[in-house]
Amino acid sequence: MGVKEKLKQVLIEDLNLEDVEPDEIDDDMALFGEGLGLDSLDAVELVVIIQKHFGVEIKDMEEGRPAFQTINTLAKYIEERLA
Amino acid sequence: MRMAIQGIGVTGAFGAGVESLRNALKSGAGSPKPSSDTSDAGLFYQASVEGLDEFFPKRALRRIDYFSKMTLLSACLALKDANQLDADRSRTGVVIASGYGALKTTFDFLDSYLDFGYACSSPTHFSNSVHNAAAAHVSIQFKATAPSLTVTQFEMSAPSALLSAQQWLAEGRVDQVLFGAIDEHCDVLRYCRQQFFAAGEQGPLQPFLFEQQTAVVGEGATFFVLTPETESAKYAHIDGLKLGNHLVCPVQLPQKDLLILGADGHKECGRLYAKALKSKEAAAYAPLYGSFPAAAGLDLAVAALCLQDRTRYANPEATSTTPQAHQTLETEKISCLKFGPGGDYGLTQLSV
Amino acid sequence: MSAVAPTAITGLGCLSGAGMNLAESMESLFRNERNPHPPVRFSTDHPASYPVLELRDEFKLPLDEQESVYARTSQLALAAALEALADAGWDESSLRGKRVGVCVGTTVGCALNCDDFYRSYKEGAEPGMEIIERFLRSNPAAVIARHLKLDGPVQTVVNACSSGTDAIGLGASWLRAGACDLVIAGGADELARVTYAGFSSLMITDTEPCKPFDLKRKGLNLGEGAGMLILENEAVRGTKKARGYVLGYGSACDAYHLTAPRPDGAGLKRALNEAFTSAGISPQQISFVNAHGTGTPDNDRVEARVLSEVLPGVPFLSTKGYTGHTLGAAGGIEAVFTLACLQRGEVPANVGFTEPDPELAASPVTQNTSITGEIALSESLAFGGNNSVLILGQGDA
Repeated sequence: MGVKEKLKQVLIEDLNLEDVEPDEIDDDMALFGEGLGLDSLDAVELVVIIQKHFGVEIKDMEEGRPAFQTINTLAKYIEERLA
Repeated sequence: MRMAIQGIGVTGAFGAGVESLRNALKSGAGSPKPSSDTSDAGLFYQASVEGLDEFFPKRALRRIDYFSKMTLLSACLALKDANQLDADRSRTGVVIASGYGALKTTFDFLDSYLDFGYACSSPTHFSNSVHNAAAAHVSIQFKATAPSLTVTQFEMSAPSALLSAQQWLAEGRVDQVLFGAIDEHCDVLRYCRQQFFAAGEQGPLQPFLFEQQTAVVGEGATFFVLTPETESAKYAHIDGLKLGNHLVCPVQLPQKDLLILGADGHKECGRLYAKALKSKEAAAYAPLYGSFPAAAGLDLAVAALCLQDRTRYANPEATSTTPQAHQTLETEKISCLKFGPGGDYGLTQLSV
Repeated sequence: MSAVAPTAITGLGCLSGAGMNLAESMESLFRNERNPHPPVRFSTDHPASYPVLELRDEFKLPLDEQESVYARTSQLALAAALEALADAGWDESSLRGKRVGVCVGTTVGCALNCDDFYRSYKEGAEPGMEIIERFLRSNPAAVIARHLKLDGPVQTVVNACSSGTDAIGLGASWLRAGACDLVIAGGADELARVTYAGFSSLMITDTEPCKPFDLKRKGLNLGEGAGMLILENEAVRGTKKARGYVLGYGSACDAYHLTAPRPDGAGLKRALNEAFTSAGISPQQISFVNAHGTGTPDNDRVEARVLSEVLPGVPFLSTKGYTGHTLGAAGGIEAVFTLACLQRGEVPANVGFTEPDPELAASPVTQNTSITGEIALSESLAFGGNNSVLILGQGDA
């Protein structure tokens, strides 16, 4: 499974987005605010999700914020650190 | 000052909503189920959170844990009962009493780092395990911007918190209080009770066998909509509260009131009820909902129903000296007495 | 609501990373000393280490054999309560026959989050009940009431970081209601691994000593301790001099988010207004503010904004550089500090602050500062959106 597919799956499971299907999350959809509608508490949970499922550490939210924009930016961030 | 009870919302093993509690009182039947753990022969008075989707879309509840779901459900039911679901709540205070807090979430948070390491500690579980999270969810969902208070005092949580609710109303800090008492069960609690009480909790819960351990664990939530005294409260008024320690200064029980005991089969407290009662007659309804600290809230709800219905409902576990059938309520006042194992007590008096 | 009568405070007690009692604490505050360090009492496998402020000396309850009986938080609560009672001239025997209430704020003190016990349970090792029995014995307010054999209302407030402030406000209202003659009120919390893990997971802890209101602030340092006041009604107090007065109390909820404060500070403003109304005073009469000032970007931004709007030009400081964020104890410790500073006529520097943040409309005091005036304010902002404010008056000369 590619990083993007796995990301969508773990987001739905770990953030309890029960009413969302993976194919409803566009790769370019804003994750925060309008779009998927995540908030600041989800942002710190996302740091844990990425650590847990991908082994990638995000040290602070300054680093995290640009990466968290969309599935695309997040996947890119993860892939760069896994390489 | 006297507080008027304008709405009641409840959830417990008897179902959800004040009518389900009234039906349980009328039938006198409790519904403990066998524990879901097959290694445990005990029973459990399990509550339900069915019906929450009447009030909230699913998405709004995605981060809300079971404890907060019980809280929100009974708060909604109380507001609906008071015809206040759409009211402005900028002058509504929120008071929540719980013996143990959100136990499941507390352990879910520990799981997150014990299983995966500290870097994987879950901030969502941590935030929800903070004891005032349920009150925060109530404030956020209902836009209640007046003060919020959460009290954790084991068996004294409800009477103690009620004292503060009364003061807020008396001082005009709020015009209304959403007052709730909630406790949930969890696996760790089941394990602890097995260790303490060895036999497992096989039932039946018999509150008047004061020298014996007959407690059966339960969970549930009670919410009241409380306002300052009015000409016609929907249910009843809470007249006054007394809190103290029976072993330091014995409680003086009102002579003419119907007494509802918070006795729930724990023999450590049973001794205190026996000592305080001497041989006075009393009622006890824990066999309908089980043993948990916040059941003190359900005792108050039962008192309010007895006053509204002008009925002294029969004790579910009748004894040779207590009435076997429902009777007309002879007295004007009901007092609910709750003891903690250290002798601490809360005595709450209600009248029409 | 309308103005309420002042409530006399006759005794103060506190302990924290700043000192084992009030006198020691004031010394280190006014020497602007602090000692944040990696935790000593527990360890974790976090990749980063976050400084904390543990109690400095090997903590011993001023009584024998109690340490294994009570959890640390309730020992801290009891220690501060005993210091405050002694300060007020009371002991167990002189309290006999009085109706004494106990109102204590805490977070850790009420949580069944004993991770060693739970780890053992998960592994199927069937742990014994000693830890649980200790938990059941250790409700902080109940411990004080039981230890001193008190008869009266007992309440443990679990309003997260505003618990201590709320406990004092509530305790004062019990006296006004005639529910009791005296109240022991304040807050207590121990430093625990669970809380350390929780706050670091929220990414609001700093890897450096905290910098309240500073441009480079990155988060809080956790601390531990307890702060207690003795409140007395006039009939019981008689001619005894007051150490201070609770003049007013206000509280309001943001109703916004579980962990983030409302950016416009509406809840804090409402709590401030209620406090001024209940005290029957105007903001102009406030001589200084003990701010919540945890050092997190969000908290300090909101607080500075509200302080500049509601109390412009009034000196303010956070003492959390000295004590760390002591959670449920914070409101209790900070009320004690506020009263002691009023008495001294001086506030200490806001340690940790060196560079103003242009985004913040106000900055705290940067050195020890003389204060004239008889009234001060202590505020606390909490998870769940609670905002609580105490207005405290100087004691009798």
